[in-house]
Amino acid sequence: MPSRRDAVAAEIPRLRRYARALTGDDAEADDLIQDTLERALARLGQWRDGDSPRKWLFSILHNLHVDGLRRKSRRPPHVGLDSVGADHSAPAADGASGRDLDLALQLLPSEQREIVLLIGLEGLSYAEAAEVLAIPIGTVMSRLARGRGRLRALMGYEDGYEGGGKSGHAPLRRVK
Amino acid sequence: MTPEHRISEAELHAYLDGELTAEDRAEVEELLAAGSAEVGRVRDLRDLNEAIARRYASRLDAPLSERMKQLLAAMPEHGGAELPGSARRWVPLAAAVVIALSAAAAGYVVRGLIAQTRSPGSAFVATAIGAHSVYVPEVRHPVEVGAAEEAHLVQWLTKRLGANVRAPTLSVLGWKLVGGRLLPDRGLPAAQFMYEDGAGRRLTLYMRKETGLNNTAFQFAERDGFAAFYWVDRPLAYAIAGRLQRDELMGLANAIYGQLEQR
Repeated sequence: MPSRRDAVAAEIPRLRRYARALTGDDAEADDLIQDTLERALARLGQWRDGDSPRKWLFSILHNLHVDGLRRKSRRPPHVGLDSVGADHSAPAADGASGRDLDLALQLLPSEQREIVLLIGLEGLSYAEAAEVLAIPIGTVMSRLARGRGRLRALMGYEDGYEGGGKSGHAPLRRVK
Repeated sequence: MTPEHRISEAELHAYLDGELTAEDRAEVEELLAAGSAEVGRVRDLRDLNEAIARRYASRLDAPLSERMKQLLAAMPEHGGAELPGSARRWVPLAAAVVIALSAAAAGYVVRGLIAQTRSPGSAFVATAIGAHSVYVPEVRHPVEVGAAEEAHLVQWLTKRLGANVRAPTLSVLGWKLVGGRLLPDRGLPAAQFMYEDGAGRRLTLYMRKETGLNNTAFQFAERDGFAAFYWVDRPLAYAIAGRLQRDELMGLANAIYGQLEQR
């Protein structure tokens, strides 16, 4: 059986990628990972022998992130639409800069962002995402569709089909 | 194109995420190949996923922070519940066998079996839990000397107990030292350190000089709703107590043991 330390170590790269995309900030993401490891260490008993710790670690991270959002809810939002025009970072090969993507993700409601990233970036199945977030699978699917629709509109992909009128945000940039 | 031939929103995402059965996937692919209006949307969503993956890929091999390394190092190296040291594992077993054998010899087989679950340290842990329950509810005077004077506290208790006393650092697990106090235990000095977590829960680490008992592995005890682990690492006997789940307490006991182990 691989050691518990190795099994956790193997999950850290993905946890960090996810946390970075989720928070939009390197330092905040690493704080979140450190807190996740701390809590995991304190609750090792919840981890059944022989199981992969992936879902368990992602759900700890999710709970800590939600707690953090509650604490921060009185602070003004980190990014606003006003800052969108001030992006001078180098465009990626496809024309959309990374910062556009950061901003667009941050403009999604947190519960949509989580699902878009857990499934689209980390490759969790719908059932795994439902377990990690402790919500029904139907909710996973509807949030996923809303989140992706909104992200697509924010990134300026053509029609922005998902109730383009509903999101109310102008596209961050036109790709085409 | 008739409405029946449209790919539903849910189907489209499920297709993209590999959640469809082979049959449904084939059907969606057929519709896409036939020039469904959804072709562009599928392409856009794939592009988006790829753009996200590219954007955050660099975090996959970013070097670990010192704190991450430290936390990772604190993870048990093996699966299953960890005991402090492999050589210790047989100690409580041997003690239990001795108790069972002597009881059996006296003809009290059943009582011998019960005795296996009790250990010579049960009076010690009862005292530690008692001290825990007396001081933990204190709002104004939970400790005699506060954590601000930790160095003085440790020095004082070391002197009074006549053994090298240390207050382990549990901040990595979310517990901070509140302080400590000196206590009487069967007429001898004992020490108690109190810790508190962010949620206001309290934990105490109790210790006294041990002359009667041999070194033991962790033993678990529960009394009046408090859980405790205790062990002997001569010259001191230790007990941690709190209103915590056994697993969480075990993690703390491991961390404390790791820091206090007598070399």
